Amino acid sequence: MDFDICVDDSGAILKLDPRTKLVMFLTSSVASLTCYSMENLLIYGIVLCVITILCGKKWLGVKSLLIFLFLIFFRYEIVTSGKGSAAIGGLLTSLITIFLFFFPVFMSLMLITQTTRINQFLAAFDAMHMPNIVVIPIAVMFRFIPTVAQEWDGIRKAMAFRGISLEPWAIIRSPLKTIEYILIPLLFSSISIMEELAAAALARGLDSGNNRTSYETVKFRAVDYLVTFMFIGLAAFFIIGRKGL
Amino acid sequence: MSEVNNKKLRTKDLIYAGAFGALYIVLMLILVMSSGMVPILYILAPITVGVFCGTVYELCVLKVRKFGPALIMGLLFALVACNGAWYCFVTATACALLAELIIFLGKYKSKFMYLLSFVVFNINMSCPYMIMTFNRDGFMTRARDYYGEEYANGLSKLMTPWIWYALVGFAIIGGILGALIASKLIKKHFTKAGIV
Repeated sequence: MDFDICVDDSGAILKLDPRTKLVMFLTSSVASLTCYSMENLLIYGIVLCVITILCGKKWLGVKSLLIFLFLIFFRYEIVTSGKGSAAIGGLLTSLITIFLFFFPVFMSLMLITQTTRINQFLAAFDAMHMPNIVVIPIAVMFRFIPTVAQEWDGIRKAMAFRGISLEPWAIIRSPLKTIEYILIPLLFSSISIMEELAAAALARGLDSGNNRTSYETVKFRAVDYLVTFMFIGLAAFFIIGRKGL
Repeated sequence: MSEVNNKKLRTKDLIYAGAFGALYIVLMLILVMSSGMVPILYILAPITVGVFCGTVYELCVLKVRKFGPALIMGLLFALVACNGAWYCFVTATACALLAELIIFLGKYKSKFMYLLSFVVFNINMSCPYMIMTFNRDGFMTRARDYYGEEYANGLSKLMTPWIWYALVGFAIIGGILGALIASKLIKKHFTKAGIV
């Protein structure tokens, strides 16, 4: 799971509008909460991976697709074979299922954070004349998720360096200490990044009130409509399927 | 850092709210996903998340000290975690709004009100579970489909229809613990560093 802050989407065949990706993210979380059958999830996951590949993240898309398919196959094998001990089988199925269950949300989150620059995001929402109070928190949130992941990686390394273990047993033995060790550095470094981010944004006139211009051309093209309708359709299909029509 | 008398949210405050929201959500997802394998820990998630994320929330509202950050965090949380059903979304938003109101009643100065507001805010952790009470049959079918028979049986033993009320209780306990830890940690680290 490597996140990259400097997003490069030059290799993209399909250049989607940030708003389309946001719709995909929303329908994905609806899908993972309402999807009842593995077949539907399989279709949804494959579509999501293919779009990721088309958006220029070939390696990420192929890798996720392979893992996804393998896990579904593996789970199918466990469930149908009926061999082995029930306890281990049950544990494995539930582990795999949790992963599969979160897969659409995870994948669409990766798609947003890995293929959208923050200025594309802002430009797209500015074009819709959304007020700043809505746009900025959402844009910053998606910009910040990779940063948190990176900082977390650094903190874990620093903890290992000082011999502070993150094993479950160590966490159970002194939960308060663990919280302190993890949270305080994470918050301190995040706050300094936030301050830099705010300074950079203000220097670029984010709060000037005038209409901002952008290098990015964002437009809702035919492909965007197609993808949006496809995902809304899939989500609607899941919801209707749940009601048993 | 920020003046109390300047009531309107500025761009800088919005950036803080968004970034703290991201921190909150990442921590929550890590906690829920890593503890989700065991039914009992899955039920206790409101407590664990409250204990961990209390500090993040308190730091955010203490840093901005205006009307808005708790609501924005609540909405971002609802956007990511509660969009399965409309009543989850509405309740989560209502909790955040109530938290804002409590801070407002404390006139953005009272420390106790800040801590109390997290207890209310943390109730939104129980909202994703509302489906279990209000759409119980559907949830059970899915749990059986997804997690296998044994996990579902384990869940259904825990999931008596009144479970949601128990979860609200857990969320409140988690909120109190989180607020206490947050007040201790903030006093120990962040006040000294002059961050809040």
